[in-house]
Amino acid sequence: MSSTMVTGSVDTHQASGSGFSLKEWVFTTDHKRVAVLYMIGAFAAFLVAGIMAILMRTELASLGPTVTDNPAAYNTWLYFHGAAMILGYQIPALTGFFANYYVPLMIGAKDVAFPRVNALSVWLFWMGLVVALLTFVIPDPPDIMWTGYPPYSILTGGNTAFYTFTVLLMGFSSIAAGVNFLTTIIYMRAPGMAWSKLNIFIWCTLAAFIIQIIFVPILGVAVTMLSLDKYLGTHFFNAAAGGSALIYENLFWFYSHPAVYVIFLPAVGLIYEIVATFARNRIFNHMKMVYYGIFGVLALTGLVWAHHLYIAGIPNWMVLIHVFTTLVISIPVGLLMIGLLGTLYKGSIQYSTPMLYAAGFLFLFLIGGLTGIPNAMSAIYMHLTDTYWMPGHFHYVMAVSMTTAILGGTYYVLPKMTGRMYSETLGKLGFFLFFIGVNITFMFTLLMGVKGLPRRYYDYQQFPELEWMQQWATIGSYIILLGALVVLVSWLHCAFFGMRVGPNPWGSRSLEWTHAPSPPPPGNFGGEVRVPEDWSPYGYGK
Amino acid sequence: MNGHAHELKWHTSYWPLLVSVGTLFLAPLAFGFYFVYKMPLAAFVCLGIGAPLVLISIIGWVREGLEDEHGYSAGLSVWAMPFFIVAEAFLFVGFFAAYWVTRLTAPFWPPPGTPEMSMAVPVVMTFILVASSFTIHLAEGKIEDERYDGKGFIFWLAVTMVLGAVFLGISAFEWTELYHHGFVFGTNVFSSSFFSITGFHGSHVLVGLALFLCILLPALSGKVNKAFVKSASVYWHFVDVVWFFVVSQLYFW
Ligand code: HEM
Ligand SMILES: [Cu+2]
Repeated sequence: MSSTMVTGSVDTHQASGSGFSLKEWVFTTDHKRVAVLYMIGAFAAFLVAGIMAILMRTELASLGPTVTDNPAAYNTWLYFHGAAMILGYQIPALTGFFANYYVPLMIGAKDVAFPRVNALSVWLFWMGLVVALLTFVIPDPPDIMWTGYPPYSILTGGNTAFYTFTVLLMGFSSIAAGVNFLTTIIYMRAPGMAWSKLNIFIWCTLAAFIIQIIFVPILGVAVTMLSLDKYLGTHFFNAAAGGSALIYENLFWFYSHPAVYVIFLPAVGLIYEIVATFARNRIFNHMKMVYYGIFGVLALTGLVWAHHLYIAGIPNWMVLIHVFTTLVISIPVGLLMIGLLGTLYKGSIQYSTPMLYAAGFLFLFLIGGLTGIPNAMSAIYMHLTDTYWMPGHFHYVMAVSMTTAILGGTYYVLPKMTGRMYSETLGKLGFFLFFIGVNITFMFTLLMGVKGLPRRYYDYQQFPELEWMQQWATIGSYIILLGALVVLVSWLHCAFFGMRVGPNPWGSRSLEWTHAPSPPPPGNFGGEVRVPEDWSPYGYGK
Repeated sequence: MNGHAHELKWHTSYWPLLVSVGTLFLAPLAFGFYFVYKMPLAAFVCLGIGAPLVLISIIGWVREGLEDEHGYSAGLSVWAMPFFIVAEAFLFVGFFAAYWVTRLTAPFWPPPGTPEMSMAVPVVMTFILVASSFTIHLAEGKIEDERYDGKGFIFWLAVTMVLGAVFLGISAFEWTELYHHGFVFGTNVFSSSFFSITGFHGSHVLVGLALFLCILLPALSGKVNKAFVKSASVYWHFVDVVWFFVVSQLYFW
C-alpha cells in the first residue's frame, strides 16, 4: 500500500489548539464542527427520549398507577419517546453526525459541497428538536404516538400542529442534507478516488440520502394534510366527507418503512468500517455487497410499506404482494450480514470497544431479523400486531441494534475527533451494561407480546400475571440507563483527560486515518489528496 | 490554492443559524399560537420576529454567496439542483396520489358543492407560464461568455418576473371567484385537493420569484453568479412542468 499526499507543513497543534471561540462553533460551516453540533443534538434527544422510556417502564413496573395516575401523561411520554428516538436521535446521528464527520474525510475533500447549506441543515434539525421539546411546556401537548394516525390525531385536543412542524423542520433539514451529500459524494471526490475505491460507509450514506430525498417529501405531505384537516377544515382523511384515513397510513409508511433503511444502511456501514479495521481484513466481496446488498435494498425499499397495514383494511392482493416483497427484501439485508461475517472470517480480530459493539450488533440484529420474519407473514402478523411483540421486535432490529452501531461508531471515531484515546475499561463496562440491559428488557417485551399483552397502554389490569415480566423489563431499562451514563462519562473523560494518540491509533488503511491529523484542521488534509492506482481503504494485504 | 493562512481558518457564517431561528418563529410558533392556542396577538409577534430575521438572513446569505463565487465548490449548484427537484417532485407525487385515490374511490366526481370551473383561466395561465420559461431562457442566453449583455439579461429576467407575478395574480383572482361561489378549503374532498395543490404550486412560483429577485438586485450593480442563474432557471422550468400536471388533472381530466 502506498499513497501520496502533498504534505504542506501543517502545524496541527496550532490549528486545533488556537483556543476555544464560541463564535467559531455556533456559526461554523465546517463539516467536522457541524458534525459535532449534530452529535450534541442527537444524543441530547437520545437522553431525553430515554428518560421518557424510563418513566414509561417505571409506570409499567406495577399494576395500576405507579409514577402518575394520569394516563394522558403516559401518552405524552410515548409520543416524545418514539418521535424523538427516530427523528431526533437515530436519523440525525447517522445521516447528520457520522455522514458529516466521515464523508469529506473518506473521499479526500476539504468540506462538503455547500458548507452553508450544511449549517442550515443542522440548525433546522435543532429547531425541530426545540419544537419537539416544547411538548413538555405547552398546554395540550401532542399525544398521538410517533405515527400520528387520524382520525385520533385530528379529533384530539392535543397539539398535532407541533408534530407536523417537528416532522417538517427535520424533513427539510434531511432534504437539504441529501442534496448536499449526494452532490458532495458525486462531485467532490479526490483525484484518483474511483467509485470502486469508496469506503462502504460512503456507499451506504449515498443510498440513505437517495432514500431521503425521494421519501421524506411524502411524509411531509402526509403530516401537512393532517394539520390542514385539523386546523383548516380540509377533508383528506375525513371518511364522512369521502376522504380516508388509509391515505394517511399509506403515505406515512411509504416514508417510514424506507426510513428504517435510512437508519440501517449507514449503521451497517459503520459496522463494516469497524469490522474491517479490527479484523485487519478486506471487505468480503466489497462491490458485490454494494451492488446486490445496498442497491438491492434501495431498489426494494419503496415496495414493502404495506406490511405495516395488513389489518388496516387494505385489499388482499396488496397484502399478498407485500408479504412477497417483504420476504424478498430480507435477501439483500441478509447478504449484508453475510458480508460482515465474511469480513470477520480469518481476520485477526482485536476486541476493542468498537469491535465489541460490532459483535453486539450482530447478535441483536440477528434476534431482530428472526423476530421480523413472522411479522412479514400476514397470517401470523394478525395475532402479533399491536401486542408487545412489535416493540420487542423493532427495539431489537432498530432501536437497540442501531444504537450499538451509533455508540460503537462514536468510540471508533473519538480518537480522530479529539486526538485522544478513551479508556477501554470504561468503554467495555458501558458496553456490557448496555448489552445485558437491552436483552433483559426486550426479551421480556417479546415474551409479553406472545402472551397477548397489547402495546401502547398505560396499564394492564387484565394481565396481572404478567407483572413480574414487566418488572424484569423495567430492571433491564435501569441497567441500560446505567450503561448509557457510563458511556457518557467515558466520552467526556476521553475528550478532556484521554491519553493523546497519533493520527491512526487503529492502524486503519482508510483515508481519514492515514491522511488527516487528529483532530483534522480546517481543510482537513493540509493539502490536496491524490489517491494512487493501487490504493484501497481496506488494503491490509490479504 | 488559497495558501495556508486561509486553510487554517475555521469558516463561519451567521445566516444559516439566523434563518433557522427565523423559521422557528415564522412557522411553528406563529401557526401554533394562531390556530392551536387562539392567541392571534402572540402569533403576530412571532411573525414580526420571524419574517425580518428570515429576510435579513437571505439577503446576507446571497451577499456572502456572491463574494465567494470562485470558492472551491462554485458552480456545483447546477448539479445539485436536480436532486432538489427530485425531492420537490415527490411532494407533488404525494398530493396527487392522495387526490387520485380519493377520486377513484368516490361514488361520483366532482363531489357535490363543486361549481363549474372556468376553463379559460387555466389556459391563459398555462400560456403565461410557458412564456416565462421561454423568457428566462432568453435571459440566460444573455450572460453566456461570448455575447455578454448585462442589460439584456436584466430585461428578460424582469419580464420573466412580471409574467410570474401575473400568473400569481390570476391565481389569486380565481381563488376569490371560487370563494364567492362558496367553494373553499373545507367544501368537499375536491376542494381540499384543489386548493392544496394549486396553492402549493403557487408557493413554488413564489419561491421562484424570490430566487429571481435575489439574482436581479445584485445584477443591477453588475454582480451575476452564472451557476446560480442556471440553477434558478432549471427550477423555474420544473415549476412550469408541474403546472402541466396541475392543469391536466385538476381542470381537464
Ligand atoms: C434503549 C432503551 C429503550 C427502552 C427501555 C425503550 C422502551 C420503550 C417503551 C416502554 C415503549 C412503549 C411501549 C408501549 O407502551 O407500547 C417504547 C416505544 C417505542 N420506542 Fe422505545 N425504548 C428504548 C429505546 C428506543 C430507541 C433507541 C428507539 C429508536 C428507534 C425507540 C423507538 C421506539 C418507538 C418508535 C416506539 C413506539 C412509539 C409509538 O408507539 O408511537 N426506542 N419504547
Ligand atoms: Cu416496514
